[in-house]
Amino acid sequence: MAMPLSPWSLRRAGSAGAPALAAGRAGGVKGPGRPAPLLDETLGVVSVPSQWRGVQGIRGETKSCQTASIATAEASAQAQTHADAQIQTETPEPVAVVPVSQHDNPRLVAFLQRVEAMVTRELNKNWQSHAFDGFVVNWTEPQQTVSCLHTLGYPPAQGQGLHVTSISWNATGSVLACAYGRLDDGDWSTLKSYVCTWNLDRRGLNPRQPSVVVEVPSAVMCLAFHPAQPSHIAGGLYSGEVLVWDVSRPEDPLLWRTGLTDDTHTDPVYQVLWLPEPRHSHHFQVLSVATDGKVLLWQGVGAGQLQLSKGFALVVQQLPRSTKVKKPPRGETEVGVTAVAFSSFDPNLFVLGTEGGFPLKCSLAAEVLALTRMPSSVSLRAPVQFTFSPHGGPVYSVSCSPFHRNLFLSAGTDGHVHLYSMLQAQPLTSLQLSQKYLFAVRWSPVRPLVFAAASGEGEVQLFDLQKNSQKPTVSIAQTQDGSPVYCLEFNSQQTQLLAAGDAKGTVKVWQLSTAFTEQGPRETEDLDQLAVEGAT
Amino acid sequence: MIPIRTTLDNSTTVQYAGLLHQLTMKAKSTVRDIDPQNDLTFLRIRSKKHEIMVAPDKEYLLIVIQNPCE
Repeated sequence: MAMPLSPWSLRRAGSAGAPALAAGRAGGVKGPGRPAPLLDETLGVVSVPSQWRGVQGIRGETKSCQTASIATAEASAQAQTHADAQIQTETPEPVAVVPVSQHDNPRLVAFLQRVEAMVTRELNKNWQSHAFDGFVVNWTEPQQTVSCLHTLGYPPAQGQGLHVTSISWNATGSVLACAYGRLDDGDWSTLKSYVCTWNLDRRGLNPRQPSVVVEVPSAVMCLAFHPAQPSHIAGGLYSGEVLVWDVSRPEDPLLWRTGLTDDTHTDPVYQVLWLPEPRHSHHFQVLSVATDGKVLLWQGVGAGQLQLSKGFALVVQQLPRSTKVKKPPRGETEVGVTAVAFSSFDPNLFVLGTEGGFPLKCSLAAEVLALTRMPSSVSLRAPVQFTFSPHGGPVYSVSCSPFHRNLFLSAGTDGHVHLYSMLQAQPLTSLQLSQKYLFAVRWSPVRPLVFAAASGEGEVQLFDLQKNSQKPTVSIAQTQDGSPVYCLEFNSQQTQLLAAGDAKGTVKVWQLSTAFTEQGPRETEDLDQLAVEGAT
Repeated sequence: MIPIRTTLDNSTTVQYAGLLHQLTMKAKSTVRDIDPQNDLTFLRIRSKKHEIMVAPDKEYLLIVIQNPCE
């Protein structure tokens, strides 16, 4: 163990060394040569005044401040009366199913035990049974080919060279209405046009003489029959107005009109639809879309006026950037809407087709306000949730599948039909149907894998994705000289009928073969598989 | 007939229960009309898409819908 050095020994060493150093220094001064002797001098006194604060004396000033007095006043308030109220919603009881009790009814248990053996025996036998292999019942006369049932036209409209711009079947499936107008006019036209209806179930149907003709002061671009009232029909005009007629009143069919107010569209209305009201599902509202970028929901109020109840505006800046869309340099630019289709599974979800060629997924429940300067009595909202990848040209028609919640078709002027799933931006599959434009595409209401398309070459093409996913199964030539077919609609009540209107002013009603109206055994599963993988 | 237990959704169950109860009653009366000593034990309906089996009883009705493999 090391012992610490004693401090005494260190000090002694230091003190012993100091005198030695001092002696050494003194010696050093006197050492070399004989320096001058040290003299004493007295210099003047130098004094530096003290700057210590205390010597300088205190210099101070007195200041004071006082906050202004606060004005106060006394007042009192007392609620005179108050009331307590409570509300409680009741959860809706499920329809007619008795809530399951914890204890099984003993008679129910006895019943189930009695029948269980018999039922399981039958289920097992069924699983392995070949009794019904290849057994197919034909309830109706099978139709092998597609044939034209009726050729309808209105000679005065055809004489003016008007096109059939839109057709619609009514709620009972027996009346077909068509709208005359022109689809290739570039500017304002004061052409008078017509809305004609034919009742196909009536005897003595005269194909040249419609049962009802309504004269309209401007070209009608689109039509839609009311889904419950067989005689109400809504139409959108070239001037941007939306009118509703009641064709059961021949003397004055006009029921409601929007008039030309600040709310109405400023561009041609491309499509109108009837929508059930959210609370009263028996009342309907009219939805109209136009190329000024507005999607408007109209409500019929008294005195024949259609009032705006909800509105949406589409502005390029507010489109979600799911895919690359060419953005204009500045300013709010409206996105022209040319087609609309609602999903049959979700009443708030709808798909819009636009002039830019990209379909948009939108919701009626959107709350975000649209950045638009268009005047409107109801604040316009931006409904777009998702942008799909575009076509090569404007999309004139979209159609949502009635059998699958995520699939929809869109047809554009590039001659292609795209099958989209709501879940992804790229189309699942893309079919080229025509070298010219495609004006309309519709899913079949009975067969999940069938759709029809109207082409600019005068043909109605029927596709059966189960048989052949590249070529049309049937291609019907509607016009002899290749003038385009502008619109087509399936009849949801009489499912073998398909109506198509063309540029010569003729509407043809086609009867489809049974191959297109009878559902095969595994179609819904095939459709689901198609949605997942795309076409093979 | 009110549904007591079900593995389908409510609206479909109610529809099947109502319609098949009527059909079962009609089938039972048909069998009894042909031969009064006879009675309905089981009802099977085969359609294009599936087979519906009904086991009737005095108080209850068991309905089974089977998708036979094609």
